[in-house]
Amino acid sequence: MADVLLEVKNLKQYFNEGKPSEVRAIDDISFSINRGETFGLVGESGCGKSTTGRTIIRLYDATDGEVLFDGVNVQDKKSKSANKEFNRKMQMIFQDPYASLNPRMKVMDIIAEGIDVHGLAKSRKERRDRVIQLLETVGLNREHAERYPHEFSGGQRQRIGIARALAVDPEFIIADEPISALDVSIQAQVVNLLKELQEERGLTYLFIAHDLSMVKYISDRIGVMYFGKLVEMAPAEELYRNPMHAYTKSLLSAIPLPDPRYERTRVRTPYNPKDHQYGAGDTVQFREIAPEHFVLCSDKEFEEMKAAHTQNA
Amino acid sequence: MTKILQVKDLELSFHTFAGEVKAIRGVNFDLNKGETLAIVGESGSGKSVTTKSIMRLLPESSSEFKNGEILFNGKDLTKLPEQEMQKIRGKDISMIFQDPMTSLNPTMTIGKQVMEPILKHQKVSKAKARKVAIELLAMVGIPNAENRYKMYPHQFSGGQRQRIVIATALACNPQILIADEPTTALDVTIQAQILELMKDIQKKIDTSIIFITHDLGVVANVADRVAVMYGGKIVEIGTVDEIFYNPQHPYTWGLLSSMPSMDVNEEKLYAIPGTPPDLLFPPKGDAFALRSEYALQIDMEEPPPFFQVSETHYAATWLLHPQAPQVEPPAAIIERMRTFPGSRYYEATGGRA
Amino acid sequence: MQKDYEQLPQDKFKRITLNSDHAERIAKPSLSFWQDAWLRLRKNKGAVVSLVVLVLMIILALVGPHLNGHDGTTQNLRHANLPPKMQGIENLGVMDGVGNLGGKKIDLYEMKKVDEYYWFGTDGLGRDLFTRLWQGTQISLLIAFVAAMIDLVIGVIYGGVSGYFGGRTDDIMQRIVEILIGIPTLIVVILMLMIMEPGIKAIIIAISITGWIGMSRIVRAQILKFKNQEFVLAARTLGTNDKKIMSKHLMPNVLGIIIINTMFTIPNAIFFEAFLSFIGIGLQPPNASLGTLINDGYKVMEHQPYVLLFPAIVISVLMIAFNLIGDGLRDALDPKMKD
Repeated sequence: MADVLLEVKNLKQYFNEGKPSEVRAIDDISFSINRGETFGLVGESGCGKSTTGRTIIRLYDATDGEVLFDGVNVQDKKSKSANKEFNRKMQMIFQDPYASLNPRMKVMDIIAEGIDVHGLAKSRKERRDRVIQLLETVGLNREHAERYPHEFSGGQRQRIGIARALAVDPEFIIADEPISALDVSIQAQVVNLLKELQEERGLTYLFIAHDLSMVKYISDRIGVMYFGKLVEMAPAEELYRNPMHAYTKSLLSAIPLPDPRYERTRVRTPYNPKDHQYGAGDTVQFREIAPEHFVLCSDKEFEEMKAAHTQNA
Repeated sequence: MTKILQVKDLELSFHTFAGEVKAIRGVNFDLNKGETLAIVGESGSGKSVTTKSIMRLLPESSSEFKNGEILFNGKDLTKLPEQEMQKIRGKDISMIFQDPMTSLNPTMTIGKQVMEPILKHQKVSKAKARKVAIELLAMVGIPNAENRYKMYPHQFSGGQRQRIVIATALACNPQILIADEPTTALDVTIQAQILELMKDIQKKIDTSIIFITHDLGVVANVADRVAVMYGGKIVEIGTVDEIFYNPQHPYTWGLLSSMPSMDVNEEKLYAIPGTPPDLLFPPKGDAFALRSEYALQIDMEEPPPFFQVSETHYAATWLLHPQAPQVEPPAAIIERMRTFPGSRYYEATGGRA
Repeated sequence: MQKDYEQLPQDKFKRITLNSDHAERIAKPSLSFWQDAWLRLRKNKGAVVSLVVLVLMIILALVGPHLNGHDGTTQNLRHANLPPKMQGIENLGVMDGVGNLGGKKIDLYEMKKVDEYYWFGTDGLGRDLFTRLWQGTQISLLIAFVAAMIDLVIGVIYGGVSGYFGGRTDDIMQRIVEILIGIPTLIVVILMLMIMEPGIKAIIIAISITGWIGMSRIVRAQILKFKNQEFVLAARTLGTNDKKIMSKHLMPNVLGIIIINTMFTIPNAIFFEAFLSFIGIGLQPPNASLGTLINDGYKVMEHQPYVLLFPAIVISVLMIAFNLIGDGLRDALDPKMKD
């Protein structure tokens, strides 16, 4: 049995609950992430993937459901020291490399923030050494420590953001669209760095993105979200080879690849939620159609998909 | 093929507090009638500035044409007075921007916005303009255009807004349509729809498109020809197949190999190290040399000229000089070259046949 | 495109390996936000000239009253109503002590047998206007600075708390502000001045009592904007406490706007004080402020225009200087606010 690090159970996050403007950003989703693996969460803007990440790290209070980290419910009220410990173990990398670093602080102080909060350095020299070491870990050097964020390029800033998260030695990192704002040539740098760090430090990632090709490359398992619901979850390769939910299929068919010959023949399959034709009696729920491969479907679809899957495999 | 637009030795600088930023450092390209030319490059490579300078949309106070000309219908756009330019903008050359949320006026009905360029540039009655506008909206796929004509931009989704922007740009049957990252702000499924729409329209009205993007997947989808920009210069230009299956410049190699392939599982992605050059202090030789593992001594000293690879394919890299050593491109590139007749790795049976 | 390539020395085509540090090098010199802002401010000629003028004015306000040996409160009726006379330029035909008397131009100093020079003339009680002008400027500036500082402290704290904590706290605090705004400022001020003993303190309190609202609103809006930025979220996920987020992340980012706003509050306070003094509910004699001086001057404007002229020039120059500096700072500190 795999060692589960994070478990999300029936998580719900409604904004403006009960009012006419109620938004069900996360609508009853469950998944778990094993220690040392990368779980990718994909979906289009507004599907609730970022909210999921932020709720897990407690930037928002969940409306309902549980988030268990190492068996402990993160939403429970805890003592100050327990909270601090939790902050240390779970960290986040943000999307916008321009907004995620305080423009008035030097890189040295940005990276050292976590060290200061958690008292991880005994002297100023140790603090400095740790920051320089972190800078070198992410491919920058000591000269960069005394500079301000605006002097760096997008990719360099994103690496500073990673160094900041690493400063507190976390076990679990939520990467919220860490590459979508970067140029292609820089995306690979950041993704490689994340992979290297994972191997060296045994990190666990929740990788949130809308770019399926990058997610497939970095993730072990992928969850696909659509309007607050998880519609499909499977190992990366399996999801790509055997997408079962109509939405996943349409998402996969929409990605343009850097291959003109393929592009000339690519056929896009549009997705229309009405095509499911769920009746009143159908129970639409998350079901396992093959080992480790879950799809949100009705009883009828479940049987069809199982049949289709055995045929493909 | 008729050349509809010629950009010759274009050089343009911005004057900033910190000094002169040489944003474009000698750009040459032609645009043929009816084709789609994609300009790819990372932020700061000068791709947006190039097209904005064609439209003359750069602030006159801080930007300066240093050299070169932009020939359109025999006129040099760099020297045209502003009034003349206004007659060209929106009529002969029109532009679509990245963000559909901000390129429409929120206080005007979409019908009015589509009509605006028609009324400005063509001598037609309001009723006729209205009819044309509704036709255009229907053509870009706004269902029920007669009724939705009176709605405001906020009543449409992002993808639909971009369709409306396209309708506005097409209002006067422009000869050139410049699309500056038109799908970057959109979700993949919507992006696919907009790309289909643009290709569709091009077939119908035979306009030339300059498509700016940093997404190579999009390029592969829409482009006939591709220009790769880096550090304010075009480093490689050729047909879409030449660029994707027989690239010659190390930067193009880097770009193409740094995208993960959906089919194969690579252990590690190829990544271009470092960051793009700061054009406040442009490098002396080849701007990319500092990040390239294929750098030669001469790259540090002299910028490379264009070397011809084929009739349509040129690349600016010293590696193509007869005296240069033979280098081995990254594995993913060799894989691509295997499928391209005429490349030195071509195998008649190889590739993804 | 050239077909025949010129022969180049073969060693130029040697492969070279570059240190990866090269690729990460940043060529620009390192500049902090404030250094950068200073560079931008320095390029703004209007702001620089204004800054110099303002510094000169402040120096004059401090040393001016001691420059010519007269004292601004001693009354000397023999020397009353003298026009300006200054050594050096008296020969040029201006400031030569010649004034109107019964429609004729006469050197009043000679007539009254006054040997001293009153650079800016004297008032109806024979007080030296040069000394009084700078004393008045001193008091006006003092009132304005103190009032602006009080605005700043109350406004920043109130706006900061309201914006940062949000929710119910924000609701209640904003309702209070709305009620305060609903009361006409002038009425509050007049009432305040009627209860309290008129003087500098009363005017400062009167100006500050509603003055901080503008600042608090600006600070609140800025805090609302910044508190959901990713760098603040990052600090929260690191476990940084509210106090530190406020002091290290939010305030340094709002500081620019606070400074700009203060630069516009000061001239407003100067103007408001002058206005109160002018309508007679401000500073009481024998104390002088720019407002009282203008009030005095306006009464004798037709016959002795110089009594009005000098304080009017000083107040105008101060207003223009502060506004130009404020504009310059806005462009320098917040380039995006230009449009």
